[in-house]
Amino acid sequence: MSDELKIVGLLCNWCCYGGADTAGTARMQYPPNVRIIRVMCSGRINPSMIFKAFEEGADGVFVGGCHIGDCHYDAGNYKWSRRSKIVEDILEEFGIEKERFRHEWISASEGEKFQTTMDEFYKTLQKLGPLELK
Amino acid sequence: MLEIKHTLCPSCSVGCGINVVSHEGDVVGTYPYKRHPVNEGKNCLNGRNSIEAYKNKLESAIVSNSDVDIDKAIDEICSNLKSKDSDKITVFCSGNNSVEDIEAIKSFAEANNYNIASYADNIVDIDGEVASYDDVEKASKLIVIGDVLYTNPLIGRRIIHAKDNGADVYSFTPEGSVTANVSNEICDSIDDVLNNFGDNLDESSVILFNTVNSSEDLDKIKEIADKANSKILPVFSKCNSKGACEIIKAQSKEEFVELLNDTDLLLVFNDDLIPEIDFDFGSISTIVSFVPCENSTSNASQIVVPVKSWLENDGSFVNAMGETQTFSAVIESDALGVDEVIEKIQNKL
Amino acid sequence: MSYVLAKSKNPDIQEAGECGGAVTSIFKYLLDENIVDGVLALSPGDDIYDGVPTFITDSEDLIKTAGSYHCAPTMFGDIIQKYLSDKKVAVSVKPCDIRSIDELIKRHKINPDNIFTVGLNCGGTVSPVTGRKMIELFYDINPDDVVSEEIDKGQFIVELADGTEKGVKIHELEHEGYGRRLNCQRCDVKIPRKANIACGNWGASDGWTFIEINDEKGEELIKGAQKAGILETKSPSQDAIDARLKVEGIMIKMAKKNQDVNYEKVSGIKEWDRCIRCCACRDVCPICWCYENCELNKSYFNASDVPPSPIAFQGIRLSHMSFSCCDCGQCDDVCPMDIPVSLIFDKLQKKYQDRTGYVAGVSDDVKPPLYSPAKEEL
Ligand SMILES: Cc1cc2nc3c(=O)[nH]c(=O)nc-3n(C[C@H](O)[C@H](O)[C@H](O)COP(=O)(O)OP(=O)(O)OC[C@H]3O[C@@H](n4cnc5c(N)ncnc54)[C@H](O)[C@@H]3O)c2cc1C
Ligand code: SF4
Ligand code: SF4
Ligand code: SF4
Ligand code: SF4
Ligand code: FES
Repeated sequence: MSDELKIVGLLCNWCCYGGADTAGTARMQYPPNVRIIRVMCSGRINPSMIFKAFEEGADGVFVGGCHIGDCHYDAGNYKWSRRSKIVEDILEEFGIEKERFRHEWISASEGEKFQTTMDEFYKTLQKLGPLELK
Repeated sequence: MLEIKHTLCPSCSVGCGINVVSHEGDVVGTYPYKRHPVNEGKNCLNGRNSIEAYKNKLESAIVSNSDVDIDKAIDEICSNLKSKDSDKITVFCSGNNSVEDIEAIKSFAEANNYNIASYADNIVDIDGEVASYDDVEKASKLIVIGDVLYTNPLIGRRIIHAKDNGADVYSFTPEGSVTANVSNEICDSIDDVLNNFGDNLDESSVILFNTVNSSEDLDKIKEIADKANSKILPVFSKCNSKGACEIIKAQSKEEFVELLNDTDLLLVFNDDLIPEIDFDFGSISTIVSFVPCENSTSNASQIVVPVKSWLENDGSFVNAMGETQTFSAVIESDALGVDEVIEKIQNKL
Repeated sequence: MSYVLAKSKNPDIQEAGECGGAVTSIFKYLLDENIVDGVLALSPGDDIYDGVPTFITDSEDLIKTAGSYHCAPTMFGDIIQKYLSDKKVAVSVKPCDIRSIDELIKRHKINPDNIFTVGLNCGGTVSPVTGRKMIELFYDINPDDVVSEEIDKGQFIVELADGTEKGVKIHELEHEGYGRRLNCQRCDVKIPRKANIACGNWGASDGWTFIEINDEKGEELIKGAQKAGILETKSPSQDAIDARLKVEGIMIKMAKKNQDVNYEKVSGIKEWDRCIRCCACRDVCPICWCYENCELNKSYFNASDVPPSPIAFQGIRLSHMSFSCCDCGQCDDVCPMDIPVSLIFDKLQKKYQDRTGYVAGVSDDVKPPLYSPAKEEL
């Protein structure tokens, strides 16, 4: 059952997507349940994308951006970070546990961080089980 | 000048109030009419979009696809009327017209011995007492036929109130529809819902419907309601269908098609028959449409005469529960009313 | 900030006005001196329960707008934004009206230089149909016989033509599901301090309007009307000032209590499953102004599912504007399916308030913090 868990990963082109790439080329194992969508910057992600992912059947949504200070568009990740709080608040009201939604700053060289983050996230979702939307 | 004026929603037979905003002589929007007892300021999308008919108003009369002066169109109509046998001429009107307009249409048809037809969602012979919206709210049990919450939301709201008051709701509506979501039980057919739950009804129950497929359906609904002493409430798609039926007996689809088969000249007042009635309208030699804005029937008509749109009109109509409501124009108009057009025609006959 | 008591010098206005007729007099002054193109206020439609937004350009017509319509939960923010943005307008505003106007100013949809805002303190509004039913049920009075209503000392009071009054405790009415709209029961902004002036009966002696002057423009309004000879003023006593603040405090406390009781219910809202996606809630919302471009219309959001999935429907709108929700309750009022829409928007604005300190339509920030380019995390 839990192998069918679906994770949508929205990763910024300049850092976290690189991190995932690093993990991949180094053949680090991470759960295959992650579907990666590359975006130019975490600041480009709007809450609707997260909601759409859940509506379409994602059990967890992950957002990865550059470390604070490293955003290639200066402040995109600050914007995302503020936005993410609203997303959390909204998810909670519709019965979606906030643990199903996670974001992390991961640089292009941090393949290992990407791997462990995905492992952890997968385990969290395993515990929660598949999402049943109201 | 910005003005907000009251009128009634013409989009279905519930009889909701609506405020229309006009600005510098143009209709620009709607505003909730919270004082209105039927809907308390709530309007569905159809209701709020009802002002589009005004925005897309026809500018001129049309004869054989070219714009003409209105008097020219009237002359054309008169010569057509004169050249045909009166029993081959059919005048059609529906609940899109006000009580006053239907009366004018009826006297016109009678004076000249034309056939007269009216059609209301295939629902015939519905005079007699129907349930009021209050009856619905206070009902102990409701049988609902059709996705009434979605199609007629402001009656749907009364179903919700009934539910909140503890009523049982049995419906014939698709699974997953909003009506299904407030129902205790849903069924796959009209027959099923009536057969399975008809026996549960009592004198404080209501059968509410906005669709019937055949006159047998209607007979069955009436029979079950009679047996349990329950009330019925037909909800029509057109605002004044109830009023129209009181003036001109509504026909069934079959009856109407039979009449059309025998019609050479069809005068359609404020309606769009083509998408609603499965009939080869091309077989009628001349169709005349009296409409505020284009529709598929007017597009297929040889002669089109623009008339006042709802927002430009005054009058009254009878809502689904049989209550007469009056409304007045929210904007000045230079278009002719149906009664005025009829007078012009009659004078030239 | 300063306080005055004011009263009209025009006997007709003083008679017709709710308190001292100060608001109507100020409007008259603005129209007569051609300072504004028009005044946006209410006038009675079918009856006194039917306050209809009316744009007055001739000061002779102002008299019909005088008085308070407690059963008229209207919204002026979007009317100005949609239809009057190119005009100089004076407008009477309840707290929710001015809060929405403030949010629209922050979104550059209303030019603050074009409007004069005359605030009315607000203890809450009653929906007209509910109001009439309530008067029949609890007062045993024909609602058509009522000439005016007011809210005073915790009571909803109606007055008949012969001058007799009858009051029932608001608490009692609301316990039975009548009384003020649910959002009003939660609303904790009672004095519109973002308006140029805030007028009310709290702290006023009979026949006078108590006015809190909030800014320079407000100061000019009072001085101008005085100079034009239409308004007389005097200073309120310190006792009156204190008493007014005390009532305000009590009202806010009551509102917070209602918030605590109701916010909890939000995650259990089941009514979303009867949403017909008619978008009346969005279309009426003064903060939502994207019209054709609204993201809810985009095909990639299964824009035709009925009922829509709440997370992808209300969720989107919540993420766009709940931090600016001024709890005006318009969305509840217009929802054909009686879904308590505003409750979740209001709750999320309060959550946002807890995180950022930003109070919609009240805080002075140039933008709601979500939009600011600041390099800060929450
Ligand atoms: C719903 C409501 C509740 C109120 N509650 C309180 C309260 O609890 N405490 C308090 O101190 N004061 C309250 N007031 C304010 C008070 O009733 C007077 O409006 C105020 O003192 C101004 O009096 P006036 O004689 O100067 O105004 P007037 O000269 O009578 O002018 C009042 C103006 O307000 C407009 N108006 C009336 N109703 C509304 C409405 N619903 N929305 C927008 N504009 C409107 C009128 O059209 C008119 O232009 C309330 C007012 C309203 C409308
Ligand atoms: S929301 Fe607040 S300001 Fe608005 S009507 Fe209610 S109490 Fe008055
Ligand atoms: S969400 Fe509702 S309560 Fe909030 S501002 Fe919009 S209409 Fe008003
Ligand atoms: S929901 Fe969003 S896009 Fe739609 S009108 Fe509101 S703010 Fe604009
Ligand atoms: S007004 Fe009500 S029914 Fe219509 S879209 Fe909003 S919540 Fe749904
Ligand atoms: S570019 Fe990576 S977060 Fe902005």
